[in-house]
Amino acid sequence: MQKKTEQLAQIPEMKYYVENEAKGDRVSQFLEIFASILKHSNYRMALEHYIKVSAKCGRCTSSCHVYKTTGDLKDIPCYRSELLLSIYRRYFSLEGSMFSRLFGGFELTEEHIDKMAYSFWNCTACRKCVLECPSGIDHGLLTHLARYIMAEMNLAPRALVISTREQLHGKTANTSGIPFIALKDSLEFLEEELLEITGQEIRFPIDLENAEYILFTPVSDFLMEADTLMGIAAVLHSAGISWTIGSKYYDAINYGLFYSDLVLARALRKMEEETRRLKAKKILIGECGHATRSASFLKTYWRGDDCPEMLNIMELTHDLLKEGRIKLDPSKISEKITYHDPCNIARQGWIVEQPREIIRALSNNFVEMTPNKTENYCCGGGGGTVSIDEIRKYRTLVSGKVKAEQIKKTGAHYVVAPCANCKKQFRELMEDNKVDGELVGLHDLILKAIVF
Amino acid sequence: MPLFEYGNVKIQVDEDGFMENPELWNDEVALALASTEDISELTENHWKVINYLRDYSKEFGIAPMVRKLCKETGFQLKEIYDMFPSGPAKGACKVAGLAKPTGCV
Repeated sequence: MQKKTEQLAQIPEMKYYVENEAKGDRVSQFLEIFASILKHSNYRMALEHYIKVSAKCGRCTSSCHVYKTTGDLKDIPCYRSELLLSIYRRYFSLEGSMFSRLFGGFELTEEHIDKMAYSFWNCTACRKCVLECPSGIDHGLLTHLARYIMAEMNLAPRALVISTREQLHGKTANTSGIPFIALKDSLEFLEEELLEITGQEIRFPIDLENAEYILFTPVSDFLMEADTLMGIAAVLHSAGISWTIGSKYYDAINYGLFYSDLVLARALRKMEEETRRLKAKKILIGECGHATRSASFLKTYWRGDDCPEMLNIMELTHDLLKEGRIKLDPSKISEKITYHDPCNIARQGWIVEQPREIIRALSNNFVEMTPNKTENYCCGGGGGTVSIDEIRKYRTLVSGKVKAEQIKKTGAHYVVAPCANCKKQFRELMEDNKVDGELVGLHDLILKAIVF
Repeated sequence: MPLFEYGNVKIQVDEDGFMENPELWNDEVALALASTEDISELTENHWKVINYLRDYSKEFGIAPMVRKLCKETGFQLKEIYDMFPSGPAKGACKVAGLAKPTGCV
């Protein structure tokens, strides 16, 4: 039996608010939407394969941070995936529909839909279980697909739906509803702060045409992450990079990655339009795991000519450091530092070593949490769950429990989490689990160590 | 939409307790909302934060960057958490009658 972490006396409720929930015959609605998505996507290939190879062997139990804390069999990734696979097998595969005609068997019910509505949001879509599955099943993909079908019948967390609506259809065109005048005021304030801190005239250029990079950062940074933004501007200034922020669209957040392919595509379309408007050569994404991974789908959705190169700020900063275009002083920060890998950029081995090399260049006191890199544990707020405030206790005391224990063990003062989702989750889980230390972005530390 | 009652105050709030009709905000409403945030009384320092948030929001349509709030009011972030236990983006905005922040805030 899997060794569990400290057992909770009571599991906090995982119940999110829903806006205009579907009524009537939800079973027919679910099946119609599922059929339509299968017709217009490539999911069928994966599902057809998964129903044949899914052995429900339970190897994934060893990797799931939610199951580790709850010990509830319903939180085993392959149990959850079976909720969707059983529907596909019965209604959309040849052998399943033949079998059920002859012998009866599984039927989709209202209760089954209710079960999925919560189970697929207990999962943080971190995809650590994918590393363990001997059949190669991507449980994260199944979580995404199940949420996508349910979102099409309005069965999705309200927090994500209202943020996305403002981003795609609202006046401010971003998930936090920040009007451009407020953005401009914040950037001017940060320029004054940078002058005070560094003595340098460092700018946040707005609407500069033909820049080498257009920066899209999680828009919440403009409210919460002053130091991260100043660190990024300091790096780009120091290396003499031409860059800009667009005034019409400045949000890298894309909750579509978590629950809807339609939202994913529409938010990327806005990013494409702004990049074209300002004729930027490359797309730069700020500190954020899901924003970076979702932007990698630009290649899929970009229209016409070649999609510009897209990279995460940590990749660029790493390149600039290697090329000697920025300098970091390792004597400025003496406190112990640890690093949390955001799942969406680390799981596939994409951005793993770059941030570590940057940290080693600015500190002699770096300690890893275990496990780490591709095998890291989720912060507990992944998959969009961090935006759902009503499930905070579930996030911090259940899905974030393993991460809290990992941080405690390092004894680090600075906990680096270069991701808007992870940053919000870390602040809350460190408070709720009484973990000492200070949550920072990677560029917050760079700002302290950079030498001009 | 839940109705929130406290003393003479009767206002509509959302599930998180933020005001649905911010134009109805007044000092008495602020006191009522503070009671839901583990704040027993509103001191001069609380009002300094509340008034700054309200003035900024009136001009720019949203709460200020947290760092700017600290700088302009002269409080450390920790002091703001001591005054408003659920933080500047949640507790302070709620008491000041601002909308609930959305996205990754």
